[in-house]
Amino acid sequence: MKEDLRSVGKNIPRIGAIERLKGRPVFSADFELEDPLTLKVLRSSRAHARVVKVDVEDACKMDEVVKVFAAKDIPGKNLTGIINKDHPLLVLDKARFAGDAIALVAAESEEAAEKALSAIKVTYEDLPEVRTPEEALKEGAPRIHEKGNLLFTRKVRKGDVKKAFKKCAAVVDKTYQTSFLEHTYLEPDAGGGYVDADGTFVIIASTQNPHYDHGEVVSLLGVENHQVRIIQAATGGGFGSKLDLNVQGFIGLALYYLKRPVRYVYTREEAFLVTAKRHPLTIVMKTGADRDGKLLAMKTRVVCDTGAYGSYGIAVASRTAVHATGPYEIGNVDVEALCVYTNKPFAGAMRGFGAPQTAFAHESQMDLLAKELNMDPLAMRRVNALKPGSNTGTGQALKASVGIDECLDAVRPQYEQALKEWRGGETSPFKRRGVGIGAMWYGIGNTGMQNPSTAQIEIGTDGSLTLYTGCADIGQGSTTVLSQIAAETLGVSPETILTVVADTKHTTNAGATSASRQTYISGNAVKDAAEKLSEVLLTEGVDLLKVPKNSLVLDSGFVRHVSNPGKSVALSKIVKLAHKKGIPLKWQGYFDPVTVPLDPETGEGVPYATYAFACHLALVTVDIATGEVTVNKIVAAHDVGKAIHPEGVIGQICGGVAMGVGFALMEEYIPGETESMKDYYVPTCSDMPEIVPIIIESPEPSGPFGAKGVGEPALIPTAPAILNALSDALGERIYHLPANLERVLSTSVISGLFSLKEVT
Amino acid sequence: MNTDLEYARPGTLEEALDFLWNHGKETNLLAGGTDVVIDVRSGKLRAKYLVDISRLSDLKGIEIKEEGLVIGAGVTLSEIHDSQIISRFAPSLRKSSFNFASRQIRNTATIGGNVGNASPSADTVPPLIVHETTAVLGNVNGERRVPIDYLFAGPYKSAVRPEEIIVRFILKPAEGKFNDFQKIGRRKSLAIARINMAVLAEKDGEGTFSFIRLALGSSTPTPRRMKDVEDFLMGKRPDRALLIEGGLKMAEKMIEVSGRRPSTVYKEKAVQGLFVRMLYPMVEHERRS
Repeated sequence: MKEDLRSVGKNIPRIGAIERLKGRPVFSADFELEDPLTLKVLRSSRAHARVVKVDVEDACKMDEVVKVFAAKDIPGKNLTGIINKDHPLLVLDKARFAGDAIALVAAESEEAAEKALSAIKVTYEDLPEVRTPEEALKEGAPRIHEKGNLLFTRKVRKGDVKKAFKKCAAVVDKTYQTSFLEHTYLEPDAGGGYVDADGTFVIIASTQNPHYDHGEVVSLLGVENHQVRIIQAATGGGFGSKLDLNVQGFIGLALYYLKRPVRYVYTREEAFLVTAKRHPLTIVMKTGADRDGKLLAMKTRVVCDTGAYGSYGIAVASRTAVHATGPYEIGNVDVEALCVYTNKPFAGAMRGFGAPQTAFAHESQMDLLAKELNMDPLAMRRVNALKPGSNTGTGQALKASVGIDECLDAVRPQYEQALKEWRGGETSPFKRRGVGIGAMWYGIGNTGMQNPSTAQIEIGTDGSLTLYTGCADIGQGSTTVLSQIAAETLGVSPETILTVVADTKHTTNAGATSASRQTYISGNAVKDAAEKLSEVLLTEGVDLLKVPKNSLVLDSGFVRHVSNPGKSVALSKIVKLAHKKGIPLKWQGYFDPVTVPLDPETGEGVPYATYAFACHLALVTVDIATGEVTVNKIVAAHDVGKAIHPEGVIGQICGGVAMGVGFALMEEYIPGETESMKDYYVPTCSDMPEIVPIIIESPEPSGPFGAKGVGEPALIPTAPAILNALSDALGERIYHLPANLERVLSTSVISGLFSLKEVT
Repeated sequence: MNTDLEYARPGTLEEALDFLWNHGKETNLLAGGTDVVIDVRSGKLRAKYLVDISRLSDLKGIEIKEEGLVIGAGVTLSEIHDSQIISRFAPSLRKSSFNFASRQIRNTATIGGNVGNASPSADTVPPLIVHETTAVLGNVNGERRVPIDYLFAGPYKSAVRPEEIIVRFILKPAEGKFNDFQKIGRRKSLAIARINMAVLAEKDGEGTFSFIRLALGSSTPTPRRMKDVEDFLMGKRPDRALLIEGGLKMAEKMIEVSGRRPSTVYKEKAVQGLFVRMLYPMVEHERRS
């Protein structure tokens, strides 16, 4: 990829940055509606209960209350869910978690809506509550869903682990536990809608997947596709939670009956109570290596607590199983990951789909094995790192763009320096320093299933270019990256391309903004569309310039001879002629990564067409007498294939590190207790370490200009690196996230660094 | 949200006290609002009137006087942070403002509000206790002086009477004594204290404690002075072993007052750790001399 690139790889100003600085983009709670009704939902106060009766009579009679909806009012199919449909918009007969939606109120004011909620009388018949996956899987456990409590099992099996463990010089067998996490995006979920002049239900919402929302609302209302239009509002973050249907269905239901503008804005408390969480995982991992540190076998059992509904649970279990080996080649693998219902808030997609939890386990194992074998942890990783030609746990032979070695090597100088100079430099008797490494791999896109994207590019008769993409930019910068890819292909500056984004009336399906897939998959779709248009323009140029097509290039709004710049013709002229000939001016591109579905028994297959790789180095200081931890520095090396927008990549890395610090040290959502940001701690800027981002570009042949993805990879190695550094500082390991004050101090005591009687 | 609440902002302290004389029992004071507004929104605040005293000039001012360091109850945490006088005469109080919530909150929150809200984990309180602060409470008939320790009736229960307003605090200046504040939070800023504590201490020519005041917050239903631990330390030389024992005594006292709770597993150790860390400079000081 050494050719001259004029847009790709350049830090162009982010598309829409100026508008955002001026406060112009309208967020989901803010757009103007004419005399809108306020929507509010009555939430179940019970974790598991039969809903015997919902008496809305009093509420309906109240002032300013327009209508109260129950499940029976849903005209279409009252079940939603992106992978498995198990989530009713309004519960019909039973509540599966404290927060389940019972009834929807539409009122003239927020106060009236609130009052109506308290006037609705619900008769519950409590059912035994299933609190943990262990309880859920017991024989005779109360069934949360009719099909049972085990939603899904993913197996990945290769070789013979039993035999292989016998050959190992060191075997480590440990159990790891993680917690529920709340995404805590800046903007709580919200949206509104109105009925268009032609009767279309228009819903504007904070979302990561407008085309999925569209399908769900159509199905809920039992209407035709064209009767629903979803527009993505300016979105203040999502991290996976805005992949589920949050307010959209309620807005659709109200529009269907009331034909009046409506708005639904979650409070922070409501967003905490009812939106998806990160799955808590219990991971039992046994890993063995030979005398030289070469991994021979791994056996892993994972239980994912998906709470009351599936959401993305199946994807999390699947991805967890596939990623359990870490970025290492292991000949013998036996993984089983279960996804289990409990009566807790549902867990869904959250940056990494289980990979961050799994990386905590496989990276702890690497350090434990290195210690047993008396090896340097970084060297141990280097011995096992995947390479082109390596065979993964699912039997996929990796062909190219396997940059893990380069990532490991990139952090090495700072790693060695930290060990040699920094680690022993602490002077306070109450502090200990630690240095740790965490590595990861991450498959780009959905696991072993189709996940295509489409995009369109249109050229106007004046030569102007418009990119139509269904890809929701939720702050990560996809619109900028896609514009750069289109601009590069069409030889123009990205600022000159108009963009129409994430509006189901005008854009085609680009799939979810998830799985770090948009740069790679939608990037390719945009490139495909741009290439089709480019082909037409060059072909027409041949006619006008009378030179062979292979001597022509697109350059700044002209078709130009490659070596004779004087020989050129403006695109506007070409387009006018083409248009007269009836040649289409709008072209659609398409891309779907090549995958092979995983075998249900062995997991054999090609789950992803390409993988991102990364390694983080963490430097931490621990207060052994109080359990306080300071993350001093994170060096973050990421193989992204090709950084289309390097500053955007760095932004993702820094944000990912922030989330990783939270995951490692403080974030924990306790169902029934945690209410809002007052008792859920995410890192502040004071908690942030110095970050040294290092971009590695091991080009992916199937990626647009070699690009892969970085959105989720940015987060994944941080917590493992911090936990390994903590273990280095304390001499004992923490197996339960978050490594909060309590766990760190108790580990300090266990290790003998600090005791009630004596401070060393 | 409590939408029936009536808001009033009297122009003078007299007006405010008059209002309280008549409606004190149905009134909640707003002195900055960083706690109260949250309770208004959540509907937890059940008062009829909300009387805003945040801008009363009578409650402002930081001065060193004969009676001590006088700090108006309406002084904001940012003003405490920026005050040269407080930095000189009550450094632990200033330090308590460093990690107090966020800058936005410090710009609005007042010391009187922090005390009046009576949170067990209020960051300004342990420093006020070790400075043996007197709170001056105003009412229509005059003033009442109360030692700071007596202002807390229970968690979030102030002993300030419905007709009273905290007008100012009078602190005994540190005057060169060792003075520190320490806090453990779940993150480095915008965190409610898991444990906070303050000390004001001095050693005599022999290197033994000749004066010591200790206060512990966030660990007992109300922040409290740790007199037993002070008594234990008085007249003794602060070495490592003594501090460890002092920390243990502090933890024991906490458990005696609060009983054993789930959080005790952590706090029992961390109180000791924080105590030793806080007083350790006094040991090192001796080593150097």
